[in-house]
This record gives sequence, structure tokens and C-alpha cells, in this order.
Amino acid sequence: MSTAAPPQKAPPPRERSGGRLSNGAFALLLTAPGLALFAAIIFYPLLSALFTGFFKQDLRLPGREFAGLDNFTYWLDGDFLTILEQTLIFTVGATLVPFVIGFALALALNTGLKASGFLRGLFLFPWVIPGVVVSFLWMWIFNANYGVLNGVLMETGIIDESVAWLGRPGTAMLAVIVTKTWASFPWMMVMLLAGLQTVPKELHEAASMDGAGSVRRFFAVTWPQVRGVASIVLLLEFIWNFQHFDTIYVLTGGGPAGTTETFATAVYQTAFKGFDIGRATALGGLWMLLLLLLVAAYLRITERKGDA
Amino acid sequence: MTSTTSTPLPAVDRPQPSATRGERGARRRIRKDLLRSRIAAWSAVVVIGAFGLLPVYWLLVTALSTPESTFQFPPKLIPTDLTLSNFTALAENDQLIKYMINSLVVASITAVLSVVVATYMGYSFSKFRYRGRRSLMHLVLASQMFPQALLLVTLYTVFSSFGMLNTYSALVLSFTTFTMPLCVWMLKGIFDTIPDALLEAAAIDGASRWRTLHSIVAPLAAPGMIAAGLFAFVRGWNDFIFALTLADKEKQTLPPGLVSTYIGEFQTAWPQLMAASLVVSVPVIVAFMFLQRYLVGGMTAGSVKS
Repeated sequence: MSTAAPPQKAPPPRERSGGRLSNGAFALLLTAPGLALFAAIIFYPLLSALFTGFFKQDLRLPGREFAGLDNFTYWLDGDFLTILEQTLIFTVGATLVPFVIGFALALALNTGLKASGFLRGLFLFPWVIPGVVVSFLWMWIFNANYGVLNGVLMETGIIDESVAWLGRPGTAMLAVIVTKTWASFPWMMVMLLAGLQTVPKELHEAASMDGAGSVRRFFAVTWPQVRGVASIVLLLEFIWNFQHFDTIYVLTGGGPAGTTETFATAVYQTAFKGFDIGRATALGGLWMLLLLLLVAAYLRITERKGDA
Repeated sequence: MTSTTSTPLPAVDRPQPSATRGERGARRRIRKDLLRSRIAAWSAVVVIGAFGLLPVYWLLVTALSTPESTFQFPPKLIPTDLTLSNFTALAENDQLIKYMINSLVVASITAVLSVVVATYMGYSFSKFRYRGRRSLMHLVLASQMFPQALLLVTLYTVFSSFGMLNTYSALVLSFTTFTMPLCVWMLKGIFDTIPDALLEAAAIDGASRWRTLHSIVAPLAAPGMIAAGLFAFVRGWNDFIFALTLADKEKQTLPPGLVSTYIGEFQTAWPQLMAASLVVSVPVIVAFMFLQRYLVGGMTAGSVKS
């Protein structure tokens, strides 16, 4: 498809057969149900959230009281930077690690292994199973008393006694990142493999003929071809992880001692455990501001890639 | 590709020093390269395969284990006594069956609603050019990226003030916040593949714009609409956070239902939980087997290529 399409690309019937509307009006009419839904369930709630941040409001009680910037200063003078830092650690970790693994696998499957179609399907498994199931499974693997990870590590003599992976401040974030990595590397693999398959094989052979080693070939031939897909995959995954909730909530609930608290869990807990919607939405507003910057970056990059 | 000056080809009799030896060397190098890349490829597959698939193996083993052998440390990596009792116990648990019915109902309605609404919107985006179209498209794309946890907080207050908490409608509407943007973009991609000439021909034959959409375009796009619907179904089926918060035991779906059923304060019934997890995963896995074909196309249409 092309962007450069002139204003009236496919003008279905002019004014014939019951079409009293102009094409533009007809097109807008088609979007009306969708827009109404979007307005009701996304835009109105988000706007009202931004507004609520300026009030003192209890989730369980009706009514509210204007609070000025109190809710915002509560965070900015308090845990904001810690939460931001932890959100970024999670986001960067859970984006880069699966990217590297997914890319390695995509490169491997792209070398023309006989079983590559079958393997691709098999590797999709972790991504296909529901996120909550992923969390349950890893919670069980990381279990302090009976977990298989502790079992294997102790049998092989790597550790001497069981580690409460999810219960220790030093390891909880790592465990959460490993879990999220497991769930998302297959998606990275699929997308990057699709990108790699557009690289003509002849280019590699030619480069190889000219004496380019594999590292050189990677940077000279492969990378330029997948750079576009890679940057969008990275950015999308970054945006998703920046607001990711399920894995962290099920595995640690933000603990232990708040060491895996991110914007998502903090907003959720403040609203539904602390019942303080004013504070929850204030933090949400700050969070959304940061997300909007990311989304703007995403839109710019997709825009540059082609039409929209 | 339209260079105005063409570089002259090198003279035919250009000296080619030791052509055969160089060629043989290059070929040997390529063969060695190929072998080396095969070895590297298989090593990557094996290492990542262990990381990717051993947890799945453990999921299966635990689901088939007796409670006694589960609470044994160190765990037996190769189980000896397997049982199906965890699965039969599921079938007898009325509350879980209720959760499953809720999941089916809510995910199906979500899928139908998302596809119907997204069909009109996607068609509009694909086949018409009007002012504000691009902004609308960006708005739809961006809405997919707003923080769900924040949206949930206010959706909760909205639904609460309308007395809609613990209803199917609340779940369907909240799921639609993340299924609709996806469907709009997928369906736009599908309508883009339907040639404009077809619509023009229909117009010339006197079909109205509604008729063209409903009787000509929709049947052609049906496979894509089904794919979009399946995606929406899966996303609704998988949701955890909205269902957890907006519904109680009566209307809750399976993912949060599993937490309240199995994850206890002190002891978790791991074998049953793993068995239930497998059951939850089955419809999704089946859906994805049908969707394989659309997977990359759909994902790229929705997010990458636009």
C-alpha cells in the first residue's frame, strides 16, 4: 500500500444508489461506533484519571476534595525515583535479554537448518501460553522449598542451600526479568526471522566470496537489512514492558521490600490496596507522561518507515 | 536505479592472477564457513532450546505428578509415578467450570464486538481518504499503548458509578480497550489487499456503499476477520488484571480464578495448578495453530509496517 495516495483513492459510487452522504461523511460514519467506544472506555477514563490526580479521593467512598499538587509532591518527594529506576531496570532487562536470545535464534534458524520450520513452531510455545500460566510456572520453578531450580543447582553443587529467588531483594528482579524473557523471546525471534528472510542469500555468498568473515558479514550484510525491524521490535517491547503488570504482580506483587515495584504495580497497589485513587492517578499521570514520549518516538519511527 | 552515466565494463582481457587457485580457496572458505555456521546454529538452538523448553517439560511433569512426589526435595527430574488425577479433579470442580464458562462467554463476546466495530473502522481507514484520517489512525495505534493499570483504576470508578462491577459487560468493555486497536489495524491491513477496482466495479453495477461493504468486501475479508477475532478471543481469554479487579467470584474468568482457587497463603497446590494451567492454555494453543499463517503478517500489519 502507499501513502502517497491522492485524497480520493477509491471513490466508491458518487451519489448513486441511496448514497446521500459524501464519501468523507460516509467514511466518518463507519468510524463512529469505534470512536464512541474508544471515547467511552479509553479516552474519557484516561482524561478523568489525569484530573483525579489533583484530588484527595478514597476508592471506597463517594466524593472528593481538591488537593492541589499534594498527590504529586507525595511521589516526587518520596519513591518516584526508586520506582522509575526499578521500572527502567525491568524494562531494559526484559527488552534486551529476549532480543539477544531471539536474534541469536533467528540467525540460527535462518541458516537453513532442515528442521527450522518445526523448530520455529516449537519455540513459539512459551509465547503462546497465557501470561498468567507463565507466571505460575516460573513461580513454581523458583519456589524456595521445592523448586526445580534450587534442586538442580544443589545437585550440581553450584549452591549449598536453597535460595528464595523471589523472596530476596537481590534476586527478585532478576527472577522477574528471566520470566518475562522466557515469555517474549519467541516473539522477537518470529519478527526478526521475518526480517532476516528478506535478506537475499546471494548477498551473503557474494560477501563470503570476497573474503568477509562471519562477523564482518553480519555487520555489513545482515544488520542493515534487519535494522528497521529490530528498532521497531525493540521500541515496541520497551513500551510494553514499561507498562507491564501481570508477571511482576503474580510473581512478587512488587516485593520483597518494594524491590520489584514498578509504575504498574505501584499504581495498582495504591488504588486497590491503599484505596487512595488520588495518589494512584497522580503517579499514573507522571507515568503516562513518560510513556507518551515513548509512543511519540514510536510513531515517528513507524512514520519514517513508510506510510500510515 | 536510474543512473545517468553507466560505468564502462572492465576490459575483458584484464589480468586475473591465479584465478583457479583463488577460486578454489574461496570455495573452500565458503564450505568451512558453512560448516562453522551450522555448528554455531545448532549450538544456539540447543542452548536456547533448553531454556525455552525445559520449563514446559516441568509444567507437564508437575501436572502429572502426585502431591507426595511434588513436595519432595530435590525433585525427581525423571518422574516414575505419573497420574491423571489432577486433571480429573479439575472436571469435578464446579467453581473452576464456572470460571471457564465465564471466560468463554466474555472472550467470545469481546471477539465479536471487536471485529464488528473494527471492520467498519478498518474499512474506513483503508478505502477512503479524508481529513483527520491519519490522526484517527494514530490515536487508535497509540491507545494500544496507554498504561493498562492506570486505565483500570478509572474504569473501576466508572463501572462502579454505573453499578456495572461484576458484570459481563464490564469485562467485555474493558477487554475491548486492548483488543479493538489490534483488530482495527489487522483489518485495515486486510482491506488494503482488496483491490479498489473491485469496489469501483460494484459501484458501476449499482451497488450502494453499504451493500458493497457487506456483500462483496466482507465475504472476501472473512478469513482475516476470523483471524482478528481469534486474536481478540485469545487476548480476552488471557487477560488477568482486568478480570481480577472488575469481577468477583461470580463473574471472574479463569486466569484470576486460578489464583483464588490454588494459590493459598501458606501452601499452593502445585500439581493441580499446573494441570489447570495446561487446560487454560489449550484453547490458546489451538487458536494459534490456526493462526500460524496470520501470525507474522498480522503482527507486522498491526504494529510494524502500519
